[in-house]
Amino acid sequence: MVAFTLDGRPVSAPEGELLVHAAARHGTFIPTLCHDDKLDPYGGCRMCVVDVEGAPRPLPACATRVAEGMVVSTNGPITEFQRTLTEMLLSEHLNASPGGRPNELIDLANELGADAPLMLPDAKRAEYDDRNKLMGYDPDACILCARCVRYTQEVMQCSALSLEGRGGHARIVPTWELSWLDTECELCGGCLSVCPTGAIYEKFEEGTSRPERQLEQVRTTCTFCGVGCQIDLNLDPQTKHIVKVTSKDEYLPNEGNLCVKGRFAFNFVHHPDRLEEPLVRGDDGELHPTTWEHALETAATGLQKVIAEHGSQAVGFLSSARLTNEENYLIQKLARTGVGTNSVHSCEST
Amino acid sequence: MLALRIKEAVRKGATLVVADPRKIWLTKLAKRHLQLRPGTDVWLLNAMMHTILEEGLQDDEYIRETTDDFEVVREIVTRYPPEEAEKVTGVPAEDIRATAREYARERHAGIFYTLGITEHACGVDNIWSLSNLVLMTGHLGYESTGLNALRGQNNVQGLNDSGANPSYLPGYQPVDDPETRRKFAEAWGVEVPERPGYRLDQMISGLHDGRIKALYLIGENPAQTEPNARHVEEGLEGLDFLMSQDIFLNDSTRRYADVVLPASSFAEKDGTFTNTERRISRVRAAAPLPGKAKVDREIVILMAKALGANWPEYPDAESVWNELADLSPNWYGIRYDRIEENGMQWPCTDLDHPGTPYLHAPRPALPTGRGRFFPVEFQPPIEEPDSEYPFVLTTGRTLYHYNSANMTMREPGVTDKQQAPFFEIHAEDAGALGIADREVARLVSRRGALEAEAHYSERVYPGLVWMALHFADQKVNWLTHDVGDPLIGTPEYKVSAVRVEPR
Repeated sequence: MVAFTLDGRPVSAPEGELLVHAAARHGTFIPTLCHDDKLDPYGGCRMCVVDVEGAPRPLPACATRVAEGMVVSTNGPITEFQRTLTEMLLSEHLNASPGGRPNELIDLANELGADAPLMLPDAKRAEYDDRNKLMGYDPDACILCARCVRYTQEVMQCSALSLEGRGGHARIVPTWELSWLDTECELCGGCLSVCPTGAIYEKFEEGTSRPERQLEQVRTTCTFCGVGCQIDLNLDPQTKHIVKVTSKDEYLPNEGNLCVKGRFAFNFVHHPDRLEEPLVRGDDGELHPTTWEHALETAATGLQKVIAEHGSQAVGFLSSARLTNEENYLIQKLARTGVGTNSVHSCEST
Repeated sequence: MLALRIKEAVRKGATLVVADPRKIWLTKLAKRHLQLRPGTDVWLLNAMMHTILEEGLQDDEYIRETTDDFEVVREIVTRYPPEEAEKVTGVPAEDIRATAREYARERHAGIFYTLGITEHACGVDNIWSLSNLVLMTGHLGYESTGLNALRGQNNVQGLNDSGANPSYLPGYQPVDDPETRRKFAEAWGVEVPERPGYRLDQMISGLHDGRIKALYLIGENPAQTEPNARHVEEGLEGLDFLMSQDIFLNDSTRRYADVVLPASSFAEKDGTFTNTERRISRVRAAAPLPGKAKVDREIVILMAKALGANWPEYPDAESVWNELADLSPNWYGIRYDRIEENGMQWPCTDLDHPGTPYLHAPRPALPTGRGRFFPVEFQPPIEEPDSEYPFVLTTGRTLYHYNSANMTMREPGVTDKQQAPFFEIHAEDAGALGIADREVARLVSRRGALEAEAHYSERVYPGLVWMALHFADQKVNWLTHDVGDPLIGTPEYKVSAVRVEPR
């Protein structure tokens, strides 16, 4: 542990801890934009600068490690610097909310009382249109913090995105300006999840877009693979339809990361092909909609007839990993106590 | 998602070795790729053990203190020298040796395997071989080590834990044990059948020999997911009664089901899933059910009533969970109020137990407290390539789809990336057959034939073709054979002989 001074208070932290984390543990919030705990220290946007006694200039807290005897100030003249920096970013920020994702820059501006004095004449950047149906990118909302690019390089370790152009022309593009569908990109949407301004966003079906903060969130476990990622289903409060899936860094085991299926493959839930009524096969050989009473009676009669003619052992149950533990428990109980067979298994038992 | 952890470890300096017949993405980060021929795992693993024993890299103390029957394995692996292994597996002897040394010398060495190990007629042998390797080096019972099965589906672990298994009642309590049956009979108020149940493969063969006359499918589609699928379809057609409980119609139910009950997706119900690390996490209802569909719990309860079973009331998922946990010692300590935030890992035997992140600490979790070596001799795959069917076909899944793809083929964003049936073939093979890249070609086996785009790929080597099981129109399981592992019946999806021909 090392001892240092934070805004006049004597405090301590493990040696080598980043200043931004040490300050947070002591209750001092230092604003960041380009920083992400999943990624290596970067120090690009300078929003987290603090005054350190003896340093020739302010230092970024997200890339500076605590040291013995350090005297750090986060609330003096430095706040004025942060306000100016926010105003500079705002002066190029033409579109605050292309896809309804939260915008940390606007939050910060409100907190610091920052307002763009003017829009830079060359703020408008070339649009980037992509034929994929999952993710959009609006360069006019992008602050070029490169969190997305660094996520692809450091977490996914792929080369899906890159920073292209200079100055007023700079923007993020899929590698070689190909479509997201044609690069190494696996469409995991990790770039989108780390973007602080919502410049990369979920493309919605026509007319379903809503600000994320107006959506209802229900935490659950993903239905696809055996990792068991923790996700938040984001529902439109009116229709109760899932409109997007998000996750959070503090969720185990996935720590906020998702794959293409977990993040984007939720539309099947509301698909028109979903079965809405019980079906029973008629004498014409076709399946016909019917009532629950009739379907259950037909099912029970069908099973009981086989049991009567061939014994319980002639009935098999194939259950599914799609189902919860509780449902699987009831199904094996149904096989064993309702029919009288131990023949309950599934295709997932390999 | 799991690959992210592997990527992170490699970035921090871990050594990664990939053993896979295909050059999968992770081979880019790997120090070495052991591109073995499908079905030759036992040769590779026995040769690694050969090297370890030859060079004295085994953990003698662990072997002595915590294992039995080591000598039989020592004796067998002497007959598996790396040079001979090279001829069978195609992996250079020096690569086998180097991997054996690295694995044995690194204390935090873990093995992560999936269906490439299990989906063979020798699947159990493969597991035993891996287990021998782990026991020999003492890589068990502490963090970042062990033998780790990566579950492909959200609740495979939980399905078996919950007793949807012909051999086990909930909590892996053997159904052939009279004491166990008595315990459940007391709790349920009805006798538990004594006669052993059929496994999946036995049910499927039972469709043809008359042992099975009725099937109750819950979220299953055997006409696509089981090997030799045309044969499975014929079996379904011959049933006296077929019923299904599902969210969509599928190829097993559309034509053959007598009754289909509309069920719930994960977003519409409460409960728990258990992930690959035995972590039990909450599932929560968020969206309304479509039309008259019901949650699966309710449907099963209604069926039990219709069949005259005398069950208690289950007002919610938690009441079902509590019955399961009350009856299953290793789950007893996990209750909903403890897993509202992050999930917990079983075994968890009482309400103060913190859960168990890794097993077999400090000793193997067997009644004797000792791990057992199993001698394993190589058995070749059931179907080897010949002049008529010269290619080895191996099957798998892709990132973009999920099994029979009844869900993911309905996702426009995902199908943009991958929709049309395809198989991977080496350019050299395709060129020799006059098949252009992305041209539709035929795959033919002794069971059937299909047509799919031939994708030139560096992932496979000449002589090997690969196809995913996701395509309902062109099912790869029309081609696979249905002779599985003699002990547990797992099909050999990973090796079939096929020929490739232009359309």
